[in-house]
This record gives sequence, structure tokens and C-alpha cells, in this order.
Amino acid sequence: MDYDQFFQTIVNSATLGSTYALIALGYTMVYGILKLLNFAHGDVFMVGAYVGFGVLTLFGGAIDPSISIWLVLLLMALAAMAACAVLGVVIERFAYRPLRDAPRIAPLISALGVSFFLSYSVQLLFGAEHRTYDSFNMAGGKLYEPAVTIGSFSISWLRVIGIVAALVLMLLLWLLVARTRIGKAMRATSIDRDAAAMMGIDIDRVIMFAFVLSGALAGAAGVLFALRTDVYPQMGFTPGLFAFTAAVIGGIGSIPGAMLGGFLLGTVEALTVTYLTQWIGIPVGLSNLVIFSLLIVFMLVRPQGILGRPDIKKV
Amino acid sequence: MKRRALIAAALATLVAASLAASAGADTQAGARSEAAAVSCNGTINIGNLTVLTGPAAFLGQSQQSWAALAAKRVGAQLGLKARVIGYDTTLDPAVALTAAQRLVGNRSILAAIGPATSGGVAATSKTLRDASVVHVTPSATRTSLTKGGTPEATSYFYRVVADDSVQGTGQAKHAVERLNADKATVFDAQEPYSVGLANTIERALERRNVTVQRLSVSNNTTDFSSFVTRIAGDTDVVFTPFQVAANANQIAVLLKEQGKRAIVFGGDGTADPAFKVPGSYFSNFAPDLNGVAGKQAIINAWKRDNPERTLDPFGPPAYGAVQSILYAAKRACTGKRSIERVNIKRKMKAGAIPNWILGGNFRFSSKTNDPLNGGFWLFQIQPDGTARQVGRL
Repeated sequence: MDYDQFFQTIVNSATLGSTYALIALGYTMVYGILKLLNFAHGDVFMVGAYVGFGVLTLFGGAIDPSISIWLVLLLMALAAMAACAVLGVVIERFAYRPLRDAPRIAPLISALGVSFFLSYSVQLLFGAEHRTYDSFNMAGGKLYEPAVTIGSFSISWLRVIGIVAALVLMLLLWLLVARTRIGKAMRATSIDRDAAAMMGIDIDRVIMFAFVLSGALAGAAGVLFALRTDVYPQMGFTPGLFAFTAAVIGGIGSIPGAMLGGFLLGTVEALTVTYLTQWIGIPVGLSNLVIFSLLIVFMLVRPQGILGRPDIKKV
Repeated sequence: MKRRALIAAALATLVAASLAASAGADTQAGARSEAAAVSCNGTINIGNLTVLTGPAAFLGQSQQSWAALAAKRVGAQLGLKARVIGYDTTLDPAVALTAAQRLVGNRSILAAIGPATSGGVAATSKTLRDASVVHVTPSATRTSLTKGGTPEATSYFYRVVADDSVQGTGQAKHAVERLNADKATVFDAQEPYSVGLANTIERALERRNVTVQRLSVSNNTTDFSSFVTRIAGDTDVVFTPFQVAANANQIAVLLKEQGKRAIVFGGDGTADPAFKVPGSYFSNFAPDLNGVAGKQAIINAWKRDNPERTLDPFGPPAYGAVQSILYAAKRACTGKRSIERVNIKRKMKAGAIPNWILGGNFRFSSKTNDPLNGGFWLFQIQPDGTARQVGRL
């Protein structure tokens, strides 16, 4: 057993999982309140990555920023969260709210339209080339230096920052939903929108707040993800698809379910690429075949997801 | 009322779009009805099927700039008036086919350069052959495009750069002889160019008794962490024959992060400033023109025409592709007042081309439509992230 490889796989699982969980939370919050699959959410994530890139460029880039790189990183995340929160509100106001009483297929198509609109608009504005935060050269390469060392294995600062930031954001979200008035209103709306309205809850405000939160989390996820990868207009497709799957596995509509689903899917993906494809003797390029085959089996066994409630129909 | 206004506006947009489309169709039909022959005293139009948008747009835009310069300079030297018309293929073979169909429909075009990518050539060579359009690629390197009797290896397709059999075996040779590699990983990105080059590298390494691990990644892969985790710590070289240089760069960065010592070796698709981890290598089908004797005047002319661009090693072969077409056109025009597309093909191999853009004289092989003695050049990324030419494969 190669223990370095095993520990690295665990770290990969946690990094991937934290990204999927942050995005999945956006899917699940919007679905929980509006019963809408917001397929544009992966593209909001992509916009967040671009906003981060814009802030980094504004402050002089990765190698020689005009202020401390740590402050730049914080500003990148905050700007991406703010911009994506606003974007979420705009999408809700113009693409979903007019269709709130339309048949359920209509906002679904609208969501797909917004998804294409965002990715192609970004391509039109900034071109299709891959850009990079150049995190390898940030702070003289500090992000790639070991933060934790166990024997011959080490975890870089980049991974630690990514995982811890995601966990902190998830904790804040949980506190907000569980301990505040607006959180209580969100929970009430997700259980029964009409009853919540009759109790005096401003539904439009609650829905708008759900889009603010989901956008902000997607923006943060975009920056954290782009620190490790590249920035380009179609970058939201695969993480968006995996995060949506994670939300469904966890039980769509359930906030802890989205977190759990995200980490579970990240683990399944990392384990499949590193080990499972080797063990069953198929090319690693077909790892998605294995991952989604496992998920089909899982959904057949538990269609409501891990923490989802079964849909009980009263007669 | 508001809804009626919206419907009226939508109908008006549809009518306007239909009118615009029919106007475009008329223009194309008009072009089709023109005579296929082109006057030797008139303008010779050369199509350029290349990647003008998308992640590899840097390649196509560079090629377009060099092709335009060749039309101007070589045309003037040969007493011909020439013009290059760009057709965007993106990296998508289906888009390339549509672009080729548009090019073929424009009867004022005598010949073409491109497509720039191997997938683009495979998708379009039949369409171009059926319309008797000679097309000379300045960058598509997949071996089967000119060899092995494959459907895409038509007699109308030529290239002015060496193929992947030269690149792949050269990379493997360098890895074994210079980098002392006995364990290697070869990636492919599940598309024709990448798989073809990866297969060549893998075979060449195995012939030299190198232990090879093959990893295949989907084009949709965004995070390569788990793939890099699969690479053993004692692997010497990792080959990344991708079309997106940023992906090769990500793999090089992840290797460093995971404490692995392997050196990354990219193909011509990674000859891009986005690939910048120091110590990494890439090969390219053309040398750094600054190092080729007697080319300073051409470089200066190109810089005058393109003050905002920086000199790269993948644009100049497009100049050569136009050179080869204009020399064929000049020969075909000897004793004639006009020529047709098919005349270009008859003269493509009629003689050597002097003052070749990459140095010396150029000649096509008598056996295939490849260059005689074509080569690949090796570049290494320096500590400041720039690439320096370090040899020839």
C-alpha cells in the first residue's frame, strides 16, 4: 500500500468535496424554497472565478501585487461573493420570478437559457482562452509549500486554505439558517410556501435572500476552485453537474444533505480515479462511467437521497 | 397590449433575420455562379481555415497575421496579387466542416491553408478534395493525415511541418537519452490529435524499454489532482500532448505540489505562454525565428504590421504554407492568362521553394505530401517563465 498516495487521495477528496458542497448548497437552497432546478448555478460559479481574476489583475497580479497577496485573496473572495449574490438576485428577478406561477418546465428552460447566456456572454466579453490565477507564483510559492507534514506526506497551504474556508462558510450558513429570523423564514417557506405567506412571511424577500446566499457561496467556490485550476467560460459545467448530483445524493432541499453529498461525491470521484478504475481494470478516462453507474445504483436504492424525505402522497 | 407589442417585436426580429439570411445566401449564390477560373493578373484569394476564436485563438490569429504578410511579400516577389481570407474553425471539427463548406462555396478562392488542427483536417479534407481545393496546413501534425491510406489523407492535402511520428519519437528519444528516463506517464485528452501523439510517444518509449503508464483524461476535466496522484513518485517524465496548454501547466504545478520529481513534456499544442512551470519542455513544429539566419527583415515587416503582437514559434509556418501555394500559382500561370483550383495541385511539387521562411530551401517529399526532412524543435521553460529553444528533435 502506497500510504502517500492514499493520504493524497483523502486530501483530494476533501478539496473536491468542499467545492462540490459549496455549489450544491446553492442548488439545494433554491430547490428547497422554489422547487426550481437552477441550472445556471454552475455558471454563477464561473462568474465568481472571473470576478476573482479581475480583482487579482486590478491589484497587479499574482507575482507582484500592489498590496499584500493575502489581502488580495480575501478581496477576491469577498468581491466574487458580492458580485455573484447580486447576479443571483438579478437572475431571480428577471428570469425566474415572472415564471413563478408558470408550469414547472418553464423556469427549467429559463434556467438553461440563463446558463448559456452567462457562459457565452463571458466568452464574448473576455474570450475563450484559459486564464490562471498563477497561484503557483503567489507569495513566492508559499501556497504550495507544506502546511501539514505527516512522515513523507504533506498537505499544501492551498489545500488547507480551500478546505478550511469552505468549512467556515458552511458553518456560517448553518448558523444563519438555524439561528436567525430570516433562516427560520427560509425553513418555513421551504416547508409550505403558501402557509408561510399566510403567517406574514415576505416570500419574495425570502426567495431573494436564498439567491443571495446561493450566489455568494458559488462565488466563493469559484475563487477557491480557480486557485487550483484555470478560469474559462465553460469551467462551470463539470463542477456544476457534479454539485447538482451531490445535492440530489444528499437529498435535494436538505442543507446538511448538500454538504454530505458534496463530500461523498468528492470522495467517490477521487477514489474512482485513483483506485477503483485500476482495480476493475478500465481506463481512468472512463472514471465518470464508474462514478455515475454507482450513483444510478444508489438512486435506485434510495431515490430521496441520504437525508431527503420521501415524497408522501396523501389520497 | 404589452404582450401584443412583444409578439410584434419578435415577429419583426424574425423577418429582419430572414431578410439578412437571404441577403447572405444571395451573396454566396452569386459567388457560386462566378467562373471558377482566376485571372493571373487578378487577385488570388487564399482561404485560411484556422482557429480564430476559443482557447486556441492565439494560434489562429498568429497564423492569420503571418499568412497575410506572406500574401503581401511573396506575392510582390512573384508578381502576383494575393489576399488571405480567414475562416474560423474553432477547435470543433463540426465547425471546421461548416467553415470548409463556406470556403468551397466561394469560387473566388483558389486554394487554402489549414485547417490548423488535425481534427479539423480529418473533418474537412473530403469536402475540400471534392471541390479540388488544395489545402496546406501549417500546424496539423497527426501522422495519419498524410500516411497510411486513411480517408483524410487525400492528394489535395499538404503540410509544411513535420508530423507526430517525428515529434513523438523525438520526444521519447530526448527523454531517454538526455533525461535518462526509465519510467514515464503519457496523458491523452481523448481527442484525435492528443490520442495520436500519445500513442506514438508510448510506442517509442516502450521500444526503448521505458515503463509506461497511460492516463486518459476527458476534455471536461477541470481538476487533475486525482490523476496526478496516480503518477508514481519515481516517474521521470510526464508527457502531456494536449491542445490546451493551461491543462499541461496545471499538471506540472500539481506534480510539484504533490512532491513528485517528474519533468513535464508537452507537445506543439502546449507551445503557449500559459505553459510556464520552469524546467518543463515542449516541442514545436517550427523554430524560434529569431535564431534562423537571414530572417530579420521578415520579422521586422511582421512587427510593423502587428505592433501589438509578440513573436511566437507557431505563426511562421503559415507564411510557408502561403509561400508554397503562391509558388504553385506562379508556375501554373506560366504561359496562361487564368488558372483554376486544380492547376494548383498539379504544380505543388513542381520544384523547390527558395528563401523558405524556416531557413534554406523547401521541398515536398516525393512519397508523401509532407516536407522533405521536416523537424521539430525543443523548447524549455526558463525560471522567468519564458521558453528558450534548446535543440532540435
